[in-house]
Amino acid sequence: MRRRPGIGGLQNAAAARDQYRLLGENVAKLRTDLMKEQLATFRSQLEDFARKHKNDIRKNPAFRSQFHEMCAKVGVDPLASNKGFWAELLGIGDFYYELGVQIVDICLSTRAHNGGLISLEELCKLLGQRRKGAREAVSEDDCLRAISKLKVLGSGFEVISVGKKKLVRSVPTELNKDHNEILELAQAQGFVTVDEVQRRHSWPSGRAIDALDTLLDEGLAMIDDGNKDGRRRYWFPCVSSISSYAGADSL
Amino acid sequence: MQKLGEFKLPHFFSYPPYFTLQPVRDTREKQVQLWKELIIDYCRAQKIFVIGLEEDFPLFSNPVIERSLSHEARVAFLSALISDGRAEWIDKGHKKCLILWHRIQDWADLIVQFVRENGLEDNVVTIEEIRSGTESRGTELYGMDRTVLMRALKLLEHKGKLAIFKGTSTDDEGVKFSL
Repeated sequence: MRRRPGIGGLQNAAAARDQYRLLGENVAKLRTDLMKEQLATFRSQLEDFARKHKNDIRKNPAFRSQFHEMCAKVGVDPLASNKGFWAELLGIGDFYYELGVQIVDICLSTRAHNGGLISLEELCKLLGQRRKGAREAVSEDDCLRAISKLKVLGSGFEVISVGKKKLVRSVPTELNKDHNEILELAQAQGFVTVDEVQRRHSWPSGRAIDALDTLLDEGLAMIDDGNKDGRRRYWFPCVSSISSYAGADSL
Repeated sequence: MQKLGEFKLPHFFSYPPYFTLQPVRDTREKQVQLWKELIIDYCRAQKIFVIGLEEDFPLFSNPVIERSLSHEARVAFLSALISDGRAEWIDKGHKKCLILWHRIQDWADLIVQFVRENGLEDNVVTIEEIRSGTESRGTELYGMDRTVLMRALKLLEHKGKLAIFKGTSTDDEGVKFSL
């Protein structure tokens, strides 16, 4: 077909472009509407679900954790805002903020004893003792969620994994790899000796002593010279089950 | 939880490093604080007034975890109590320590309270009667250390609330209250 030059041709081309755009807009609008509709349905379904299982979510830690998992999969964070319908519906935001405050409190009151490092297990136990009166049971998963909310405060609350255990850190101490390995080693008996650290990791003695000295200075370790074999033991309140006790006394 | 007779021991008493003086300042402060509280609580519960540094004081060792306090540690904890005004060396050699779970002033207040409750104002009693008489039975004054009692009475005497005098017939000293 011969190209038609001139004003008429240009006008035709412009008209065609307009037509395409209109069509495109229509399609896009259709899609958005559909999407909106789906979202609305999804949201109302989720609300229905939450409403229906409100009590389960509140009272059953396992169910709560699964609910969170489901929300995470679809990209919804029930804790993102305290004002959203989740808060009104479930009061779930308040629950975690309350936990957060209690966790901070426990971390502070046990800090003198454990140097600001506490195992998640101990923390949960102390939290349970403190919340004896409260209706809802608290799981480790709940603790972790509450702690993740505390990060917003920038106060250096962090969960670190050492060996099989999770430890909650409430002081801005930087633990390097050597320190972590010592903590991991200490989990077996609650203490380590210089010899043991050297032997297990084949470190030169200076390296082991350096790392242990740092841990002492940070208040994470305590020395014990009372053993019969005369070897100094380094105890770590944060990994010993006894750690809750001195803290619990002052709670 | 470990117990000494009826006395419930705190959990730190079963944690070995608390028996070694800690080199790091913050940790040691916490350690000293816990020991101070334990010594005071235990002495109060058991009515112990004097701790001999070299004697077998039950708190100085924990056979269950095979740990005991070194001489240095004992001195450190007692000295901390002394600087709080809750203890005093009795002898020059610093071997015996008087534990004041009530300060002398508090003991004096207790005596005044005791006198009022029993209507002994303007009466004469002997020192032994205060420590072991029927009126004092069941009060904190019962069985209290004579040295501490004398100190509290001297304090009250100084304030003009009583007069201590030597009895003529008995060995014991008498006290005349004038509250």
